[in-house]
Amino acid sequence: MRRIATRLGRIALSNPVSVASGTFGLEYADFFDLNRLAAFVTKTITLEPKQGNPPPRLYETEAGLLNSIGLQNPGLDAFIAVHLPRLRKQLSIPIIVSFSASSVREFAEILKRLEDEPDISGYEVNISCPNVAREGITFGVDPFAVAELTHKLSPLTQRELIIKLTPNVTDIAAIAQAAEDNGATSLALINTLTGMAIDYRNGRSFIKRGIAGYSGIGIKPVALACVYKTAQAVRLPILAMGGIHTWQDALEFFYAGASAIAIGTASFIEPDAPIRCLEGLQNWFQQNDLILPEIIGRVSF
Amino acid sequence: MNLHKQAVLSSIENINQSYFTLTVEDKEVAELSQAGLFCQIRPRSSSFPRLRKPISIYDVDGDHIRFMIKRIGAGTQGFAQLRSGDAIDLIGPLGKGFTVPAGRRIILISGGIGYPPLFFLNKRLKDAGNETFWLHGGNCSDDLFPCAELWCRDGSSGNAGLVSEGLAKRLPDHQYDLAYACGPIPLLKACHQICQQAGIPLQVSMEAYMACGIGVCHGCAVPVWERGEPVYRNVCSDGPVFDAALIRWEEL
Repeated sequence: MRRIATRLGRIALSNPVSVASGTFGLEYADFFDLNRLAAFVTKTITLEPKQGNPPPRLYETEAGLLNSIGLQNPGLDAFIAVHLPRLRKQLSIPIIVSFSASSVREFAEILKRLEDEPDISGYEVNISCPNVAREGITFGVDPFAVAELTHKLSPLTQRELIIKLTPNVTDIAAIAQAAEDNGATSLALINTLTGMAIDYRNGRSFIKRGIAGYSGIGIKPVALACVYKTAQAVRLPILAMGGIHTWQDALEFFYAGASAIAIGTASFIEPDAPIRCLEGLQNWFQQNDLILPEIIGRVSF
Repeated sequence: MNLHKQAVLSSIENINQSYFTLTVEDKEVAELSQAGLFCQIRPRSSSFPRLRKPISIYDVDGDHIRFMIKRIGAGTQGFAQLRSGDAIDLIGPLGKGFTVPAGRRIILISGGIGYPPLFFLNKRLKDAGNETFWLHGGNCSDDLFPCAELWCRDGSSGNAGLVSEGLAKRLPDHQYDLAYACGPIPLLKACHQICQQAGIPLQVSMEAYMACGIGVCHGCAVPVWERGEPVYRNVCSDGPVFDAALIRWEEL
């Protein structure tokens, strides 16, 4: 296990395999011991409950999945009263709370409320969801908005402050730098790409809302390039996700510059995908007599 | 507790050009199976990552669970190419099923691939001492399977027309305590209107595109009323069976 221990800013992780926000829940405890994960990342919470988008919300493309969930969640009060106690009870690994909001003030308000709650190791600030009108992505595409938001949040906490970036930008490095310069302690990337699917037989969009978030196997090369570009531009540790299904995929992301990875869509296909990935990495590092920090960012050309 | 099993395919049989059945053996899954539940399955041999297919339980016989599948796209075609002895990766049985009362008169309505869950339900209802009458409809003769009354849109077999017409015709002359339906949304909508007018409680099994199958991703949302509030619930974990009176049909 020691060979694959890693760090995400202020938190030490026993291994580099975590789970992507929105794709995972305590339901997976039926399939493996969740405490074997590096960390547990919650679904994104907003201040008020959100009903989510009208269905259909899903469509599987030739390679990967479109979703238009729309951040359906019970809201901050119910999260604190009902969901967080369950997480505390079942988990001994770091809990990272993902949240989103529609203004800097609202982001700060949520963070302050969560600061009063024990047993949270860090926050993943979701400024990159493509499926909602006001929250998130309007921040994530603008380096000045990211700078202002991070500047406001970072003095409010001593916990890990992860900014989750969108790939739907021209220059992800500039956004990453804005977060780094203003006190983020790590970065998570990538959130979903924007995508769409239309039924050629009748011209109807497969997703009710039209444009959706694209995840899974098809986005891996895009995610890898984003991680590489970001790792070249900043010193912050990177929690990488985007089409990771196997331990071999994970290794690619370490070479590109990631300190840890998250399994997302793959969990829907194989519920024990995170554990298979973890065990594969343990074997590989053992067999090659290497430790994780030795390969992070060491892609060769 | 959701089971994740590698089950052995004991047989695969073609019903006709469009439909086939898979029979797998697993004692635990068979014991936990109830009418209306489903499994998330994928061929063990598949290497390219595709989502699992949610397939309703068609029948249970001892330790054997049977699924009936319609060839639609590449995913279902992948199952059609399996051979007995191959492994199926299975999560289930999942969801909340039909209620099975005792000593009632019950009418069942299915359309197309809505047939298999009602086959299992019909068996369980009869075992529990209920009296049932089952109407089934389809677009063409391939979509028709044994039941009490058949309807076919192209007129090639059974009664010509929609199965919902059969329901509307039958209700005035017969007394039913309950109705259960599974099939395409337009059929379920029609059943809801007809049963509501007749004052018969209706349970419907809903279908939706699904990712996790266990209530995590909220992808398979269905619009319902809950304590007077419009909300979305998961077909996979809150359903697939819902009280038709609680579904916001106008949103579908």
